[in-house]
Formats: sequence, structure tokens, C-alpha cells
Amino acid sequence: MTLRADHAAGSAFVAFGALVIALSSDLPTGQLSMPGAGFLPKIVATLTIVFGLMLILRAGESAPFVSLGWSDGKHAVMVCLITAVAIFLYTQLGFIITMGAMIVTLLVIIERRNPLYAAGYSAGIVLLTYLCFETVLKTPLPEAPFRF
Amino acid sequence: METTLLSLAHGFVIAFQPDNLWYAFLGCLVGTLVGVLPGIGPLSGISILLPVTFGLNATQAVIMLAGIYYGSQYGGSTTSILMRIPGEASSVMTCIDGNAMARNGRAGAALCIAAVGSWVAGTFGVLVLTVVAPPLATIALKFGPPEYTALLVLGLIFLAYMSSTSLVRTLLMACIGLLLGMIGIDNMTGHFRYAFDLPELGDGIGIVPVAVGLFGLGEILATPSHKVSGEVIKPKLRELLPNRQEWREATWPMARGTVLGFIIGIIPGSAHIISSFLSYALERRVSKHPERFGNGAIAGVAGPEAANNSASTGAFVPMLALGIPTGPITAVLIGALMMHGVNAGPQLVTEHPDVFWGFVASMYVGNLMLLALNLPLVGLFVSVLRIPYAYLYPLIIMFCIVGVYEVSHSIVDVWIMLIMGIVGYVLRKFSFDPAPLVLGLVIAPLFEQSLRQSLIMSNGNYLIFVSRPISAGLLIVCLILLGLSVLAFMLKRRDWRTQLAEAEAAETQ
Repeated sequence: MTLRADHAAGSAFVAFGALVIALSSDLPTGQLSMPGAGFLPKIVATLTIVFGLMLILRAGESAPFVSLGWSDGKHAVMVCLITAVAIFLYTQLGFIITMGAMIVTLLVIIERRNPLYAAGYSAGIVLLTYLCFETVLKTPLPEAPFRF
Repeated sequence: METTLLSLAHGFVIAFQPDNLWYAFLGCLVGTLVGVLPGIGPLSGISILLPVTFGLNATQAVIMLAGIYYGSQYGGSTTSILMRIPGEASSVMTCIDGNAMARNGRAGAALCIAAVGSWVAGTFGVLVLTVVAPPLATIALKFGPPEYTALLVLGLIFLAYMSSTSLVRTLLMACIGLLLGMIGIDNMTGHFRYAFDLPELGDGIGIVPVAVGLFGLGEILATPSHKVSGEVIKPKLRELLPNRQEWREATWPMARGTVLGFIIGIIPGSAHIISSFLSYALERRVSKHPERFGNGAIAGVAGPEAANNSASTGAFVPMLALGIPTGPITAVLIGALMMHGVNAGPQLVTEHPDVFWGFVASMYVGNLMLLALNLPLVGLFVSVLRIPYAYLYPLIIMFCIVGVYEVSHSIVDVWIMLIMGIVGYVLRKFSFDPAPLVLGLVIAPLFEQSLRQSLIMSNGNYLIFVSRPISAGLLIVCLILLGLSVLAFMLKRRDWRTQLAEAEAAETQ
């Protein structure tokens, strides 16, 4: 049997629904006349499992799993990693340093741009945004420990 | 009617205040840019700029954010016509004939017809909104929990029925959205649900991190820069005016698209996307020369552009009158109003007339501004389109992070955005539309509360939903729609939804 995209997707949704039901075990379901906190989550999780199974049953209409194009996967992983590091450092190093470094890294590592141009572009954009938020919009952005 | 006109006049007094005019202009300009730029749609644009409105009052905030929404519908056509890339999802159909016209040397005429069509439709939409929303709000005051429950179920079923993906896929997405919307403290019992000891999750998952992640970051992850074409056709200013024949051929499609778009806009779902497709299909069917479609038929630009603008205005009717979002964008707008202490819904007209009428009047002004902006500034937008995508997307990621963080100064929200970005990327790979997920997330609290209140009211008797005429009527419509979907599935009929999915797939390749 060929593994199809909807086999994988349906199984993931069935597993997710089952996980939600397992996590809801300590939530009271209540009664129909007084539904508890777990009442609707359990119904919706059950529906998720049912729809997931329907997806699996009709998976023959979907494309084979191996034919899914992942050519952009490397780009996606790189962007995610760089963004994750930037988020981790955002409140610690402040807006200017983190965002400046993130834009330079994205441009140099992923887009293979000239580091000098990338640094100039990044500095200009980040400083302009910082000034715009701080002075025009009066919305403070995270600052570095040494107020930079 | 006299009261409506007097209230509208009061709205114009508010809309013409210099501050409000400025925010309407700013919203329209940013909206046009959001529509022009591929990879950033109105939802991520509004979400990212939401924190910027914190310093404004509710009227200014909603005027600016709504300006971004309908401005993006105008701007989306520019990229479609000049680059054959839909700057915004609802401009997919404009790509086909708009770009063909541009290649035939009629780029200016296509842009002008798109702008005028958008203006006509936008203004018509606001006129109907002015007349329809206040009486609808009066009727909605009679709604109780069972009616709201039935209305929200109808919204979800309608969304599933109208969606270009299958019914099961749409309902699955809506279920995931509903489950995400149940994270946090249960309002009725005080139980913590799925918060994993994170105090930031006590208030639940916000719309903004989810919407920005799924639609903003998700789009960037799925779009490597080498896939974005940089070829832009630059129209000459003197070629902007269509000739008499083109005006004649565009008039009726504009009118039909306007009415069709408004009606579809009121219905929950991605109305502005669906309306442009239906308008295109309608124009091709009624045309005496259907063979011209795909080769530069002006009706293929005028109809869909009018329809998507009219639909975006139509979506404000249930939002303002009932407090119910018809899609993720109106959901974020309702959230924005709530952040300013204003609840959208039946009481909005009576309790906050300045916000309601100021907003409605500003839309008349905003549509005029957009017409003035789009044609003379087309050269500027062409220049923006020439910025390489490789330089653009790091900027968008920066605004995603800043925008999400600034909503509640929570880094957990930013992590949620990143996770949702990855989820959005994977969902795209498996052909799932993330819009129902956001809609489910938004309506989850209202749906759960109204369902549980209904059951408490009836002492656990489900018949309460069929014993009240309004909720029974709404549930009958649900059954009809489900029946139609099952019938279409059993007959394996290739209807307009299949065609929409094919058109979207063809344009995104």
C-alpha cells in the first residue's frame, strides 16, 4: 500500500485528538444540565479523531507522501533556527542588537548577500524602526542591559 | 431613515477631524503597501500593526486598522496586474486577465479599472452597511445563548461549505482552532486547561501570535527568495485611462461584482477570496466572448476586483451588528476594539455611537483616498515591488516579532508565533487552509459560553436549540448545507469550489 499525504495528516490529527483527551482526564465533564470545564474540549477532541479517521479513509484521493515537495525545507529550517535564536535573545540583548544581527544573518547565511551591504541595510532599517517606535509611535521596544 | 442620516452626519463630523483623517490615510497607505507586497497579507499587516494602535482611542484605532484591510484589497491588484503574483489572496483571479492586459500594453487601463471598480464596490458596500447594520443590531438584541450557539455553528458549517478545500479538512482545522481557543482559565468554573504551569497561558492563546505565525511567518517559510519573480511591468502615466470601449465593457461586471461580493461578504468564510472567484466565473458565463477570458478580458479584472472590495465591506455587517467575526481579519478587528474597551455587537450603535458612525463615515472618506492614492502613486508602488524579496522577508520577520511581542510584552507569545509559523508551513504542504483554524480560535470562548449557558438554561435539554424559532431556522440552514456537501461528494460533482482550488493552486505554483 502506498503511504499517502492524508494517511500521515489523518494519523497526526487522530494522535492529537487522543492526546487532548488524555490531557483532559483531570477536567470535570459535568452533566448536561451543568457542563464542566472538560465538556466541550472532550467533544471537540473526539470530533478531531473522527475527522482524522475520515481523512485516512479517503486518503486514496491525496498525493503519495513521497511526492510532497520539500525543496524549500532547507530554507524553512534555516529561517526557523535564526528566528528562534533571535527570539531567545530578544528580551536579553534588546531590539537593536538582536534584530540587527538577525537581519544580517538571514541575508548573509541564507541569501548569500555581501556582508557589507547586509550590515548597512540592517543598520538602517533597524535604527529607523527603533526611532519610529520610540518617538513617533511612543511604543517602547526592549532595550539591552546597558540601555542600547 | 432620518435618524440614520443624522447619525451618519455626526459620523462625518468625527471622520473629518484632522487626527481621524490622518489615521484613515495612514491605514489606507499601509494597507495598499501590504496588498502590494507579496508574502504579507491584510491579516498579518493588521496583526503586526495592532500594538501601534494602543496609544490611540478606539475610533482612531478601528479607522486605521479597517483602512489597512480594505486598502490591501486595492493594493493586491497592482502586484497581480504588473507581476502576475497575487499580492493578496483575493487577487488571484485578477492575475489572469490583469496580467494578460499588461502584456498587451494595457497595464494602465487594467490598474485604473481595478481602482475604480474597487472604489465603486467599496462605496456601495458602505452605503448598504449604513442602512443594514443598525436595524440588524436591533434584531440581534433579541438573541439569547441558543441563538448565538446556532449562529456560530452555522458560521463554521458555512465556512466548511464555502471552502475550496474539502469539508473534512475545513472542519478539522476549525476543531484544532476551537481546541486552541479552550486553552487557559475556564470562565465558568475557574479550572486551568492545558496551561502546563505557564502563567502566560492563563488568559489563553491570543489571536495575534496565531494569525501572524500561520499567515505571516508560515508564508515566508514556504517561499524561498529564488521562487519570487522580480519582473515588473511599469505602466506609463498617460496610459492610465481606459478607452470608451473598455469603460463600457467594465461597467456591468463592476455592478454585478459589487452586489455579489457584498452578499458573500456577509457570509462567514474567506469571503473576499471566494467572491472574486465567483465573480470571475459569473462574468465568463454571461460574456458574449468567453474565449477572451485568460487573454486580457477587462471584465475579468473589473468583476473580481469589485467583488473582493465589496466583500471586505460586507464582512463588517455581522462584525458590527452581531459582534460575530466572519473571518480571521474581522476577528482581529473585534479583538482590537476589545483592547480599547469597546465590545463589537448589538450594543455598539447605542453605547458607542462615535466609534460606530465615525468608523462608517471614515470608510466613505477612505475609499476616496484609496482612489486618489492608487492611480497617481502607481510609480511608487512599482518601485516598492522592485525591492528584492531577499531583502524584504527579513524585514517582515522583524515586524512579526516586534508586532507580536508588543501586544502584551510576552515572549511566550513570540514563541507561539514561531510554532504557529512552522504549523502553517506544514499545513500548506498537506493542502490545509489555516483560515478556519483562526476562526475556530476566535469563536471558541463565545461558542463554549453560549453552548453551556443554553444547556444550563434548559436543564440539559438539547431541544432548546430547536424549540426557539431563530435557532431552529439557523440549524435547518446548517442541515441543508451539510446535505448539499454530502450530495456533491456522492455525485463527485466538480463544482466551483474544485475550480477555485485549482485556480489557487495554479497561481501559487
